Amino acid sequence: MNQVGRDFPRLEVRAKVTGRAEYTHHLRLPGMLYGKVFRSTVPHGRILHIDTEAARKLPGVHRVITGEDIKKLIPEPYYGPAFHDQPILALEKVRHVGEPVAVVLASDPHVAEQGVQLISAEYEELPAVYDEVQAMKPDILVHEVLKPAGTFADLKHLKDRGGTNVALDYHLRRGDVDGALAKADHVIEHTFKTQQCLHVAFEPFVSVADPGDSKLTIYTANQSPSFVRIEIARLFGWPENRVRVKVPYVGGGFGGKLYIKLEALVAALAMLVRRPVKIALTMEEQFYVITKHPTTFRIKSGVTKDGRIIARSCEVHWNGGAYADIGPRVAQKSGFTAAGPYDIDNVSVDSYEMYTNRTPAGALRCFGIPQLVWAYESHTDLIAREIGMDPVEFRHKNLLRNGRPQASGTILKDAAIPEVFQALVKRMNWDAPFDRGAGILRRGRGIAIALKAVISPTTSVAVINISADGSITLFTGSVDMGQGSDTAYALIVGEVLGVPAEDVRVVHSDTDVTPYDMGTLGSRSFYHMGNAVRLAAEDARGKLRALATEAGLPEGTNYPPVEIFKKRYGMQAGNVIGTATFLPTYSPPDAQGLSSNVTPFWMVGGAGAEVEVDTETGHVRVLRLVNAADCGKPINPAVARTQLSGAAIMQLGFTLSEAMHLDGGQVTNASLADYKIPGMADIPPIECELVTAEQHNGPFGAKGLGESGTFGVSPAIANAIHDAVGVRIMELPITAEAVLRALRAKEGRPLDDE
Amino acid sequence: MKPPVFDYIAATSTDMAVAALAAAGGEAKIIAGGQSLMPMLSFRLLRPSLLVDINRIPGLAYIEEADTCLRIGALTRHFQIETSPVIARHLPVLSAAMTHVAHLAIRNRGTIGGSLSHGDPAAELPMIAVLLDATLHIESVSGQRAVRAQDFFLDALTVDLDSAEVLAEIILPKLPPNTGWGFEEIARRHGDFAIAAVAATLTVSDGSIRQARIALTGVGPTPVRAAAAETLLIGHALENKLVESVARAVRAAIAPEDDLHASADYRRHLAGVLTDRALHAAWRRAQGEP
Repeated sequence: MNQVGRDFPRLEVRAKVTGRAEYTHHLRLPGMLYGKVFRSTVPHGRILHIDTEAARKLPGVHRVITGEDIKKLIPEPYYGPAFHDQPILALEKVRHVGEPVAVVLASDPHVAEQGVQLISAEYEELPAVYDEVQAMKPDILVHEVLKPAGTFADLKHLKDRGGTNVALDYHLRRGDVDGALAKADHVIEHTFKTQQCLHVAFEPFVSVADPGDSKLTIYTANQSPSFVRIEIARLFGWPENRVRVKVPYVGGGFGGKLYIKLEALVAALAMLVRRPVKIALTMEEQFYVITKHPTTFRIKSGVTKDGRIIARSCEVHWNGGAYADIGPRVAQKSGFTAAGPYDIDNVSVDSYEMYTNRTPAGALRCFGIPQLVWAYESHTDLIAREIGMDPVEFRHKNLLRNGRPQASGTILKDAAIPEVFQALVKRMNWDAPFDRGAGILRRGRGIAIALKAVISPTTSVAVINISADGSITLFTGSVDMGQGSDTAYALIVGEVLGVPAEDVRVVHSDTDVTPYDMGTLGSRSFYHMGNAVRLAAEDARGKLRALATEAGLPEGTNYPPVEIFKKRYGMQAGNVIGTATFLPTYSPPDAQGLSSNVTPFWMVGGAGAEVEVDTETGHVRVLRLVNAADCGKPINPAVARTQLSGAAIMQLGFTLSEAMHLDGGQVTNASLADYKIPGMADIPPIECELVTAEQHNGPFGAKGLGESGTFGVSPAIANAIHDAVGVRIMELPITAEAVLRALRAKEGRPLDDE
Repeated sequence: MKPPVFDYIAATSTDMAVAALAAAGGEAKIIAGGQSLMPMLSFRLLRPSLLVDINRIPGLAYIEEADTCLRIGALTRHFQIETSPVIARHLPVLSAAMTHVAHLAIRNRGTIGGSLSHGDPAAELPMIAVLLDATLHIESVSGQRAVRAQDFFLDALTVDLDSAEVLAEIILPKLPPNTGWGFEEIARRHGDFAIAAVAATLTVSDGSIRQARIALTGVGPTPVRAAAAETLLIGHALENKLVESVARAVRAAIAPEDDLHASADYRRHLAGVLTDRALHAAWRRAQGEP
């Protein structure tokens, strides 16, 4: 039966459209209290006093909890995937505006909220640092001491860089960059910046903890339930099996709901008051939880006069905010590919994850890659211009191809870089004449391509249960947050076991019944868990055959499973349990930052844009956005396309309109009225091109692509603007005002002079 | 957040509404479409003790044509105005402006009276009222009064409307024959409040401009009529040099401020560019072009 490779509607689509799908927000437990959070109003300060008396006296308030209360329950109440640096509630210091300082608990959330208004806190304000480059100076320290978590295999080397704000620095040295720069005909250097943005999931953060008698149950909108269980068990000093983490559907994650967000807080509160506790954040509060790193990227290339890039140095500063979250991985992972999808013999990368007094930054749809692509693909275009070469031809000349070493030293394999690029060029009709507009409306086009190494090494476990009637249930720790993983796995199981995918039941994360998975992140699930699911299905198929043999049936029997069970057990009874663990191989980077095996698969994505610029107002209209990605062999092309277009829309917002504004550490646009995500009417026509290739070690030749659609969007648009009107925007977002200012500066009459 | 506690009266007549407002001693707010009021309540920017709901008052939503003017009931929804053939015929600049008012869902609910009474400094309707020399009819227990739109908008979100008064009717004079119009807006996103917008009308006979009106929004605390700039146009044909000096006069007439979405410099610049475009469009239309 052919299940994989066909357009297949998502299994849950009817339940979602009719409002029947289960989300954590719907959950109400008997005796449940609602928690509302009192947050820091200063960016950096020592806590002198928290006055909770008026809140405690408010009728209906059950209890008010501060960091000191938590400490009585958990002596070391610090958590985090990279460093144990984040207190469940602030202790001694606050490090960013919006940091949770106290929680009011009440049966009525509105009473709890009113209680929060009655709390006041006194701080001794400390000088604060907001900029990732300024944070390199150690005169303002966000943390005095840092404790590496040691949880994840790829972050084992983290250490306390005492007396600095550096959470992690990654350095890659390949070849002789200085020597090659000295020999180059052109040496070209630029600095690009990106802004702080937000995931803006439609389901804000929400978690519920139920203390139970012998077991703590956490219901949560989270992308990594296995990690939550391990981390909560660690905080309490319990075995893992005393913690149960359940995740129903998640209303959008995009990296925001990774690791721990509200889970440690609700768990501690529930254990303190011995009642279920729910915390559901508002849209506004999301601005104080987790964001996308602002970056400063200094990039320098040495190029020969015939257009070969012979050297590239990259210095990236990542603004990680007050707590590391997974920022160190962002800085390291993306460091591998900071020099872009090009064949360059001499590369240096210096990537710094910095602490600052901002809302923490973590993963957001691609672990830092879009920030890097913004810089290196803008830079690549500028080089082509400077040496007078067509940007397509220049890229062609330098693209990395399979069999050649990538900057990390890993030999490129199954990465369809030239194919994706070719598909883009063709869709963009690059060789055909292009209408460049006239008068005040000028048109231009741009292109960009990028490469990503997926997260590694990580473990996924899958379990398949074939019941005695032959029906099949799959247990995985993957979280379906809209990407369609349930459906993809059902297709794999259906393919292996010869049943229609719609008949496979997929059980959502429940750590009491679903096995370990590292997390739903970084486009890893389909490859890692997909492989585990395939192997588990094959295991089950083998065991079912063995059962048939035990039942005395000849090899290759076409008895349906229910008859095999009946024959073996004398009635409809028993199970076949198939299971598998998938862990790809990996070599950690050496002292030079190099590794022979840095990733089990490469993601390749690119974008092309056609824009129209109003030269009098700076207004940019995207006329056309083309997205292409290497999909391996797509399992479900329909979902693959929506993954690409969804990613492109998200990146479009980060390109043209979204930015968190900060004034003295305060977020001044913490609402969807002033933080501008694109609306339906702002989205241009988007074309998606699935480039079919073969990922030799992927499930049925496929690979992950949840992020590939973000890669090229920002630089493609900036390159198109440059093509249209001859100005270069170096910093995101590209607002109409930024474009107009650039136009006026080019004309030698800056806007301010008017 | 949820709104603070308030009492609620669903008025069935304007008399009942104004009586309730008077009795509340300045603590009441009128709710019509609720498109601005409800978010303000939920953010607790307002804490009225009483909401007087005027949605059920019969005869408060209408568009009536008289000899020289159109009368619009305060409860008329944006969508009714946007799609009204009468308005399209006599005040096409208003029809055009309506398509820039937020999104369809909001236009289905929001009302002209609500938008004017709210007085958002970047909204389209206050600017059109000022452009078209609207007269606003206001009622209260002490009687009725009329105020010119020009005098109605006092400051950002502040209008000449006492807490016991309700805006009941908007009177918009019809445009004279041979009048062309232009409407230009720049916003961050589709449906957002304007960073800057300009509306203009030109009445032309024998190849020269007899009457000119230019209004702006988003460039200061209230909508602006650029009277000095208008005067420059009278008696002339529209040509580029003239437009340049008019745009200069418009830029001089406004005092925009920086905010998150645009700088004062950019707003001032846009005011000039959009004035240029609106005047050219108005001139073309005055010649009978579409």
